[in-house]
Amino acid sequence: MTASIARRLAVMFAWASLGVFSLLGFSLQYVLHREFDRHQLSEVNTRLDYVGMMCTRNDSAEKWAGLRAKLDALTPLDGSALFWVIGPDPRFEYGEVPAELRERLRNRTDGTFVLELEGRSMLATARTFPPNGERPEVQIISAVDSTRFRDTLNAFAGALVVLCLAGVAVVAILGHRIAKVGLAPLSSLSQEAQSLSPRDLSQRLRLSPLPRELADLVSSFNGALDRVERAYAQLEGFNADVAHELRTPLANLIGQTQVALAKERTAPELQEVLQSNLEELDRLREIVNDMLFLARADQGETALGRVDTSAAEEVSKTVEFLELLLEEAGVSVRVEGDARTSFERSLFRRAASNLLVNAIEHSERGAEIVVAIAQRESQVHIAVTNVGTPIPEQHLERLFDRFYRVDGARRNSRSNHGLGLSIVKAVAKMHGGSVFAKSTNGCNTVGFTLSDVPAAMGGTGISADPA
Amino acid sequence: MKLLIVEDEVKTAEYLHRGLNEQGYTVDVARTGPDGYALALHHDYDVIVLDVMLPEMDGFAVLRAIRTRKQTPVLMLTARDRVDDRVHGLREGADDYLVKPFSFLELVARLQAVTRRGRSQEPTQLRIGDLEIDLLSRKAYRTGSRLDLTAKEFALLALLARREGQILSKTVIAEQVWDMNFDSNTNVVEVAIKRLRAKVDGPHERKLLHTIRGMGYVLEVRDEEEAP
Repeated sequence: MTASIARRLAVMFAWASLGVFSLLGFSLQYVLHREFDRHQLSEVNTRLDYVGMMCTRNDSAEKWAGLRAKLDALTPLDGSALFWVIGPDPRFEYGEVPAELRERLRNRTDGTFVLELEGRSMLATARTFPPNGERPEVQIISAVDSTRFRDTLNAFAGALVVLCLAGVAVVAILGHRIAKVGLAPLSSLSQEAQSLSPRDLSQRLRLSPLPRELADLVSSFNGALDRVERAYAQLEGFNADVAHELRTPLANLIGQTQVALAKERTAPELQEVLQSNLEELDRLREIVNDMLFLARADQGETALGRVDTSAAEEVSKTVEFLELLLEEAGVSVRVEGDARTSFERSLFRRAASNLLVNAIEHSERGAEIVVAIAQRESQVHIAVTNVGTPIPEQHLERLFDRFYRVDGARRNSRSNHGLGLSIVKAVAKMHGGSVFAKSTNGCNTVGFTLSDVPAAMGGTGISADPA
Repeated sequence: MKLLIVEDEVKTAEYLHRGLNEQGYTVDVARTGPDGYALALHHDYDVIVLDVMLPEMDGFAVLRAIRTRKQTPVLMLTARDRVDDRVHGLREGADDYLVKPFSFLELVARLQAVTRRGRSQEPTQLRIGDLEIDLLSRKAYRTGSRLDLTAKEFALLALLARREGQILSKTVIAEQVWDMNFDSNTNVVEVAIKRLRAKVDGPHERKLLHTIRGMGYVLEVRDEEEAP
């Protein structure tokens, strides 16, 4: 099992917030760093400007002594800001110029640079001032200690990292909580689903208090439940029908055998009983064989012995077989259209025969049955139409159900056990086709389709109209 | 004709034994696969009836074993009507295949078909009592006068005449005459027989076409006292 959705969301939130916080932290750090640099530079330059102005004014050695005192006053005691004045005349110099500075300024180059002094890092600017009066040309250097800025920056960065990590943790925890709250409908749904019992198939999941995302899931789940319920109901009815259908011949068999054995019988009498038994047994055999055939189709067996054949030709052969029945019933058959496709001949004839027998049974004397064959895309449609009493919509859908009879009564029709049309459906299914039925203007049409495409799944649905 | 039945179901084996014996076969019965295999190797049977579901060694295995040594015709019986079973059996060399529940008449017809294969040609003229059938010109005569038969009626009569004295089930007739090899659950064959009977037996004292209730139809000359 994968991690819970809440946990996965929390982890994703944590990563996302880590990304965002890091970006923010680096940006802040960068901005601060630049501001500090600018600040230091402006401080260095401001001090240099000020000192430079004083220096320009003091053009004699006596005045220079006063300047020294001023420069001393301008230098903080902690040495965080320093001045040096370098020139050819020691009278006009100031400060103890460190060796590395003197070395650096040997060429009297002006500019801003970083000066490492006694373990401290200082930002310094040197500028040359032209001679004035007694004073020769001098170079004044102003320096500001940048160590404290760097310390501040480092402390700030540390605080940012800690805050960022704390923020990530908070987001993860909050994210987990939020996800749990957000997913609450899901867990209540799963509890509800668990409470569905197999005994009551009409139960459904409630739709109303659910968020939209789950409503779709629930309605498709309910749809699946609908189908299960229908299939189950059909199966239950089917079992009852099978039992009923088998019960009649069995009762006859048991009854007449018991009667026969209750008394001394002559050989012809016993023969009579055996013959009657045989008829019942034959009926049982037919039912069992038909049921096995349907079961094979249900298990997804497909027609194997497919041969490319003309549908009209096979229908004609079937009509030829049923000719005597048609004659007896005074009904004629007209075959319209043709299409070639590959199918198993005996299965096709079986389906066609069942459809025709069904049509004959529901036709008046003198009527005509029309078999229309048409190719529609990859499907071949075989529709058998007869004039007859309209079939109500609710029956049309169930016409192909096993043992289903429109009139509700179980007529003990000799010629089929109520499986005739189910077999048509099974044959269609074995050929990747489907069945259809419609009732319009006093004409009833029942038919099936065959597909060239091998067994499309779910191609067994019943449509009310073949078009 | 010597015939071997390999079948573990006692009742089935028993009635097959008795029924086929009465049909003129000399019948041996084996209850397990290895027994059946041993018998099949040591005797020369004309045909073997082999059940698929057998203890110890199933029908397919027995068939495979027999086929490595002998080409005796084999008719397989199974309770499972699965296409793969059928294909499997035929691929392993079975000559025919019957699904339980099958009718005894059907079994007899299939056995005859399997053993008849490769035999000499059938006669072109048949005579049953005062009924004469010419299979070449497709004409039939009763007491010398020609019967007015449709093509299907002639095919039906010819089938019954060729299997004179043998009961043919409706399924076999539908398959042989109309090429409908499934239980059609219709009374086409009954109607056809009724019409044929009117033409063949109609005006005559001596009936030739008989109905065996629950089983099928037979064409034969019967002694007068036997008639009901």
